[in-house]
Amino acid sequence: MLQFARFVLTRAIMALTTLIVVSLVVFSLMELVPGDCAERYLAFKNTQGSGISVADIEVERQRLGLDKPFFARWAVWITNAFQGEFGDSCILRVSIANLLGQKFWLSLGICLASLALAYTIAVPVGIVAVASNNATLNNTLKFISYFGLAMPNFLLALVIMLLSTVWFGETLTGLFSKEFRDADWSWAKFVDLLKHAWLPIFILGWSATAFALQTVRALMSDEIGKLYVTAASARGVFGRKLLWNYPARHALGPIVNSLGFDLNRIFNELPIVALILTLTEAGALLIDALARSNDQQLAGAIIFLLTASIVTLNFVTDVMLAVLDPRVRKSILR
Amino acid sequence: MTSQAQPDVPVSADEQKAKEAYFTASQRQLIWARFKKQRTALVAAAVLLALVLSGLFAPFLSPYDPTIAGRDKNYTNGAPQIPQFCDSNGCSARPFIHAVERERSIKTNFRWVTTINEDKRLYVQWFVSGDKYKLFGVIPGNLHLFGVEGGKIHLFGTDEDGQDIFSRTLHAVWTSLQVGTIGVLIAFVLALIIGGVAGYYGGAIDGFIQMVTDSVRVVPAIPLFMAVAAFMPPETSAEARFFYISLILGFIGWPTLARRVRTHLLTERNQEYVLAAQLCGASSSHVIRRHLLPSFTSYIIVDLVISFPYMVLSETALSFIGLGLKDPVSSLGVLLQKATSADVMLNYQWYFIPVIFFIVLVMAFVFVGDGLRDAADPYSDTHK
Repeated sequence: MLQFARFVLTRAIMALTTLIVVSLVVFSLMELVPGDCAERYLAFKNTQGSGISVADIEVERQRLGLDKPFFARWAVWITNAFQGEFGDSCILRVSIANLLGQKFWLSLGICLASLALAYTIAVPVGIVAVASNNATLNNTLKFISYFGLAMPNFLLALVIMLLSTVWFGETLTGLFSKEFRDADWSWAKFVDLLKHAWLPIFILGWSATAFALQTVRALMSDEIGKLYVTAASARGVFGRKLLWNYPARHALGPIVNSLGFDLNRIFNELPIVALILTLTEAGALLIDALARSNDQQLAGAIIFLLTASIVTLNFVTDVMLAVLDPRVRKSILR
Repeated sequence: MTSQAQPDVPVSADEQKAKEAYFTASQRQLIWARFKKQRTALVAAAVLLALVLSGLFAPFLSPYDPTIAGRDKNYTNGAPQIPQFCDSNGCSARPFIHAVERERSIKTNFRWVTTINEDKRLYVQWFVSGDKYKLFGVIPGNLHLFGVEGGKIHLFGTDEDGQDIFSRTLHAVWTSLQVGTIGVLIAFVLALIIGGVAGYYGGAIDGFIQMVTDSVRVVPAIPLFMAVAAFMPPETSAEARFFYISLILGFIGWPTLARRVRTHLLTERNQEYVLAAQLCGASSSHVIRRHLLPSFTSYIIVDLVISFPYMVLSETALSFIGLGLKDPVSSLGVLLQKATSADVMLNYQWYFIPVIFFIVLVMAFVFVGDGLRDAADPYSDTHK
């Protein structure tokens, strides 16, 4: 038990280190942008008619703490970031935490749902395909996986939009109906969300499914030829029991391990799909922050949060694997 | 190896020769021999070659200049014109299209209206001279593979400015290949240096580099691309943008490759030949360059081919959201940017034709990469 705790602790420390390195990267990116918050505030005031001098900018800089050295500011930013506080956006002059809050959770929910969708399809289909040993089925699946990889999600989204406008004369966009857009959370709003969210979930899950299918098939075809499977079938285990209890259990480990990178891939598509489907969640905010208003505080916060959720997922899968897989557990408890 | 001959079985001279050829074959010959056996990969390689060539000779193959200079102002948002042999006035041996006419008069309520004149034929001609171009950026020319006399032909239709989508698509294929190549090369050099140092020295250096690599890898790439691409001032010229984007793709694409290089090096550096070279007094860089890198060149080439489509896709995605390449340059992302509006989706679906080319391009790369991976793996015969 003590060793298990130590394992969890090391993993947690590793995750934290990764996050700190990432935050340094993100923070440097934010800092590299020409012009800082003080200049922006005052540029805004300038447009409102008050005359601004260089001295005013210096005073504002001191007030915002921008005159401190780089690492000191980074330390402040990262401490606040871990408490979920990202300061104010220079451009919009509102608290980023308020701006993002719900939208970030919404995005994360959609991404996790598409991840779940990908594996609910890929695991059974992949296992059955390998077990059936049917060449046509396998080749078709291989083709589908490659097609899923070659057809980026945003192209798929575009094509679906194209077909839906041509055939139904209706664009399937947005996340909420008009009457729920600003309403408080309620059961009706949740149902309304589900009615709209299936499309982004499907589109985001599309290439994740293709990828997962490939992983599952590769792992299963590696495992299914092994001697322990032959031995089990010689003992008279057959059918579904043989598949699920022997090769599938072994193939599970690497799959659980790769979940973090799958989430990473889904996040990649998030902003672009959001743009096409005109969603109003974190991905759309990211595009807005980067492509339109050049709002580095907001963009940095979103990238940091996305990365943090991947790191968290990696940590959770590591621990889960240690609990589930006796081989990993033994190697820890050794 | 099933072909291992028993010593007492007499072997014919031909077989002997074949076997000798097998054992003395260079690595490249072996890989080619294994690659040839895979039909899908071979087809994909042919398609890829065709696309690369059509990109390379795009100025010659496409009838018009892909920029605003080659626009057809009489046929904006025009539908694809497919050459035909027959119409209501009879057939002809030479394919033709119908002429379009544009008029604005009291009849059309003073709006520009484009009509197709069914009675006027424009015959397709081969090797016509038209817009000037520079092949490979140096050879000047004005000869185009095909065109029509007394008008313009648009196989894939035109966009809102009247630019020929067929010409733009061919040029876009070439742009994407260029961006991908530069990006892959930059990523490759970085990966070789970083992965090489980590793998060769191992220990604490390796630990530190791995920590940084893993941290970069865990950040979602496209948002990171976006953040870096946002630094480009909006007034950056098209050419400068092109290089920035390739640079960004390269700077963010290295971690995966670096990890592979490191893993290869970690296993290879304990081999006897490395020890022998070190005992002979070879310097570290000499050992890495002359002994270690050649030991897995084939793997590296495969990795490069596999990472290529991701570069192309990232470029497309970036240009699509407006942070990548911009209009005078043709790339898929640029071409698709206009396709999101409901107007285009309902009325001008030919804006989507370039998508087909790109799916084919990416799939060809994926299949070739897959085939190469199997071919480069000396054990691929045994585990199948």
